[in-house]
Amino acid sequence: MRHKTLWILALALFSGSAWAANPFEQELFKAIKQGVQEKVTGKSAVSVEEETAIGRQIAGNLLGAAPLVKDAKLQKYVNNVGRWVADQSERPDLPWHFGVIESNDVNAFAAPGGYIFVTKGLYKLLQSEAELAGVLAHEVGHVIRQHHLKILQQSKLIDLGSQAIAKNVSGGSDRVQNLIGSGAEIVSRSLDKDAEFEADRIAVVLATRAGYDSFGLPAVLQQIGHFAKDDGDVALLFKTHPHPDDRLAKLGAAMDDRFDGVKGKTLEKRLYRIK
Amino acid sequence: MGIATLNPSYDDRNLHERKMPKMKTTRWVLALNALLLSSALHAAEIGTALKADDLKAEPFRDAKTVATLATGDKVDILKKDGGWFQVKSAKGQGWVRMLSIRKGDVRKGGGDASGLLGLASGRAGTGKVVATTGIRGLNEEELKAAKFNEEELKRAESYATSKSAAAKFAAQGQLAARPFDYLPAPK
Repeated sequence: MRHKTLWILALALFSGSAWAANPFEQELFKAIKQGVQEKVTGKSAVSVEEETAIGRQIAGNLLGAAPLVKDAKLQKYVNNVGRWVADQSERPDLPWHFGVIESNDVNAFAAPGGYIFVTKGLYKLLQSEAELAGVLAHEVGHVIRQHHLKILQQSKLIDLGSQAIAKNVSGGSDRVQNLIGSGAEIVSRSLDKDAEFEADRIAVVLATRAGYDSFGLPAVLQQIGHFAKDDGDVALLFKTHPHPDDRLAKLGAAMDDRFDGVKGKTLEKRLYRIK
Repeated sequence: MGIATLNPSYDDRNLHERKMPKMKTTRWVLALNALLLSSALHAAEIGTALKADDLKAEPFRDAKTVATLATGDKVDILKKDGGWFQVKSAKGQGWVRMLSIRKGDVRKGGGDASGLLGLASGRAGTGKVVATTGIRGLNEEELKAAKFNEEELKRAESYATSKSAAAKFAAQGQLAARPFDYLPAPK
């Protein structure tokens, strides 16, 4: 038995090297290896520079549609909470940016490379810093698992191996813009439902790791579940996300009793209130 | 402090001097009452059981089971403690896992009921544009048409926090980092 396995392995290795004999096959071999690696590590082949350049373009476009709330203290505060939460993830070295944007919509957006924005409408629903941490952690989850990059790749908008993407980093880049489609449309695209559930699961864990009460995001979901589906403020959120009730049910099943006895801070008093 | 001044252990000589602080105390008590009342009103929120779950005597898994809620059972949410809600239901009062409860009594947005509910809450027909403060909603068309705003992006980037500054901020709130494993997807 054991010998047979070894034989197969040896044969595979041999054929692997023989396979890469000519340049075309070499490329093919590389591509397959990369594909396997992606499957194994969950990492995509896009470099951090490319990822950030794409995210920067999307963020700049989103801010073109809805500028920042003009409140420096608020923006600084959100960056402190967000960075602390993101630093508990496996990608603490991304250039994380957080912001609150002028919109009464209830929504939050993430772009590759760590650009995360919450609308004023959502921010005003928050009751504690732990709830803010939960919301930001959900978006951090999208970034660290590269959910948006994956839909760009699936729609073949990203030409893997293209080195030119990262070149024009300051200012808007036409090349990057071509990759992401029109404006900030990408942030309004629905992700896979499983990607949303995954980001919810990541959110409660990152908030917990950061020392917060684990139930910040669930509390916000309960709050949002109150809105009617045809309410303009939540129209886009409801269109692009599973219903909050379904998210709560899935999250409840995943959390089960794992958080029993895990205490954390809610920090209601420290939550920065928008005037 | 407030309670101490309520103690009537002073003699007549001091009565005049005491008058002011006493009035102040009364006002404090009134304010406190108003606060308690508002928090009580706030807490009396309606909820519905999303799934069957035990009603516990205390907010712990090992606590005594008081009753079992069935899917759709209505509850009054009295208090929150971590991942638990203290609720009052026809089956009794106790603690239930927060994630087994949905706030409100019906799922809005499904079927015809949504229109009526929307109407009742004054939110029907708002469509895509939010008129209240003159700030537009963010719909797909607007996002699609959005133009890159370099100045605003630079402003956003200027607020970035360093790792060390974030850690300092966390320490100020007595937030301590701790290990916790990611959750597997439920089957």
